Amino acid sequence: MKNTVVKAENIIKRYGDLVALDHFSLEISEGEIFGLLGPNGSGKTTTINCILSLLSFDKGSIEIFGKPMTPTSYDIKKNIGVIMQNVAVFDELTVYENIDYFCGLYITDKAQRKQYVDEAVEFVGLEDFLRFRPKKLSGGLLRRLNIACGIAHKPKLIILDEPTVAVDPQSRNRILEGIEELNRNGATVIYTSHYMEEVEQICTRIAIMDKGKKIAEGTKDELKRMIRNTETVTIEILGLEDRIKDRISTLPHVYSTEYDGTKLTVGCSGGKHNLVRILGVLQENDLSFGRVYSELPTLNDVFLEITGKALRDKED
Amino acid sequence: MFLHNLKYELLSTLRHPALIFWLMLFPIFLGTVFKIGFGSIYEEDTLFSSIPTAVVETADNSILREVVDAVSGDDSPLLKTTYTDEDTALEMLRSGEVKGIICSGDKVTLTVKNSGIEQSILKSFIEQYGVYETIIKDTLENDPANAQKVIAALSADVKACTEKPVTQGNTDLFVQYFYNLIAMVAIFGSETGLHITKDNQANMSSLGARRNISPTPKSISLSASLVGCFIAQAVCMVICVTFIVFVLKVDLGGDLLLVYASSIVGGCLGVTMGFLIGSIARISADAKDAVSMSVSMAFCFLSGLFISNIKGIIADTVPWVNSINPVAIISDCFYCLNLYNDYTRYSVKMISMAIYIVLFSALGVILTRRKKYASI
Ligand SMILES: Nc1ncnc2c1ncn2[C@@H]1O[C@H](COP(=O)(O)OP(=O)(O)OP(=O)(O)O)[C@@H](O)[C@H]1O
Ligand SMILES: [Mg+2]
Repeated sequence: MKNTVVKAENIIKRYGDLVALDHFSLEISEGEIFGLLGPNGSGKTTTINCILSLLSFDKGSIEIFGKPMTPTSYDIKKNIGVIMQNVAVFDELTVYENIDYFCGLYITDKAQRKQYVDEAVEFVGLEDFLRFRPKKLSGGLLRRLNIACGIAHKPKLIILDEPTVAVDPQSRNRILEGIEELNRNGATVIYTSHYMEEVEQICTRIAIMDKGKKIAEGTKDELKRMIRNTETVTIEILGLEDRIKDRISTLPHVYSTEYDGTKLTVGCSGGKHNLVRILGVLQENDLSFGRVYSELPTLNDVFLEITGKALRDKED
Repeated sequence: MFLHNLKYELLSTLRHPALIFWLMLFPIFLGTVFKIGFGSIYEEDTLFSSIPTAVVETADNSILREVVDAVSGDDSPLLKTTYTDEDTALEMLRSGEVKGIICSGDKVTLTVKNSGIEQSILKSFIEQYGVYETIIKDTLENDPANAQKVIAALSADVKACTEKPVTQGNTDLFVQYFYNLIAMVAIFGSETGLHITKDNQANMSSLGARRNISPTPKSISLSASLVGCFIAQAVCMVICVTFIVFVLKVDLGGDLLLVYASSIVGGCLGVTMGFLIGSIARISADAKDAVSMSVSMAFCFLSGLFISNIKGIIADTVPWVNSINPVAIISDCFYCLNLYNDYTRYSVKMISMAIYIVLFSALGVILTRRKKYASI
């Protein structure tokens, strides 16, 4: 059993009448990349701020590295690195000075600090921008600076709050790879996002939140197994008779069939050869069809299944 | 840890564009404008002819008499006085024999027929007299040996007014603008001080949040910020005073070191004022900016930066306002140094500024030391 790094128990946080966290509990073990997934306003940032002892909460307890977390737990704070949702750097300081400043809040030894800062610069690839002021950096570079400021001191626990918002896919991938590298080097990571693809890509364990509640938790496979739908088969077809549609819905594992005149969507729960069997029915009836595709469920399906709404809007 | 914080606080403060503009460039610009505007007529040896004035004594007022005699007695007297009764005086005024009548009653009054430079000078004289009456009285009572000096200083003040008729009825001193300018730069330090709270409070900026989650105790980052702002503000003050004294060659008089000292202390007062404003109430950062700016402006206004006789009016009507107005206190420091050579009063002003600084910082720290926030 690995050491528990963060343990939050039954946190209740209210903003006036709004219950932002409702009996929220978390337990994160050493070496994990823990994903906190939830739509906008679900309470991810609030959770992070409570864990960091920035926000007061109404009930519950938080332990980090096995010790209760308070605003003056400086020995705990030393080992935490945080990348906030909002970029937090000094506009008047250069890239290098910013990283050096934040690193210096944690590391007092000058030689060591210099080495750490250089490594952080290299890590985020800002070598060519050391003398730039943040205002002159593009959005993606700024995010990278923000990350460098948070991790330069080589923390054991790294908390990232939507670090990839407004970052182009290329930079985003770089950031994600960076997080995995930090994790390989021994850091435990908490990663919040409302991009399920990111969370699926890097997280070893995921908690899904909605309206301040944890609605599911597990590895991504465990989460996907929680829902009936494990495969969605979609077939482009014209003039499908109800008779045939009914025939398909009686196939094993099929639990839903939908036809909108051009597209047949079949939901299957587990089992193998679902696609082959469905196509078999169509061929028996001499029907020709267009494109066929089969999708495995996403975390969005998990979210949809549990809450009845999509994790985020299509255009997002 | 403290030094690390201090270093970066200084770097970021001194590079702040608003600071560079408002606290370094703007005063230089404004000072230059003052100098160009009033400078040509600010020549020590401006020719000056005495103003014929009638003095009517309806009540015994020895102080007024002292002062009037002093300003009509030396080499280039301000006034050419005739002591007479009210009727004759009015007659003389009507015929143009005198330009004004000074009447010493319970309150010293001035009667003039029409307006003009000489009338303005008389008016200014009476105003100045009103402002300084108490000082002169005190000096006469407690330190008669020095009374002549004070009176001489006052008459010098009033004479100086005669040298800027272009300001049209603005009867204030030329250097007073520079005093107020320095005081203004000092109080603009509140803008610098405002950042302290913003950058150290988790609920006010993400920068503050990031500082709050670091293992650097808040006491250290707060005090480093304060000290950093003090130093940055001191730099601005030194630049401003140096520019005025050595580039514009304005004689701020007195002991230059003390002039620097009081501007730096005044600057620190400005910083702590901003710090305090930043730490009170749960208003937005923008609102705080606006509040601190308007408070500073109001203080400047009340101390006569824009309309120079405001301070005198306040001294007459609500004197306590001047004694709590930091800008007035700062500029008073300069008066004490330059005009009255009154080091006791100077020390009192300096001490009251120091008290403000301690008070404001302490209140600010109490209000910002909180470590957990209900809402971010
Ligand atoms: N300071 C505050 N005062 C009042 N309500 C707040 C405050 N901060 C957050 N909330 C509310 O609490 C809920 C949770 O907010 P939170 O910022 O934790 O969400 P989030 O999951 O981080 O969202 P996002 O993806 O948009 O960052 C939201 O409904 C939000 O409106
Ligand atoms: Mg958030």
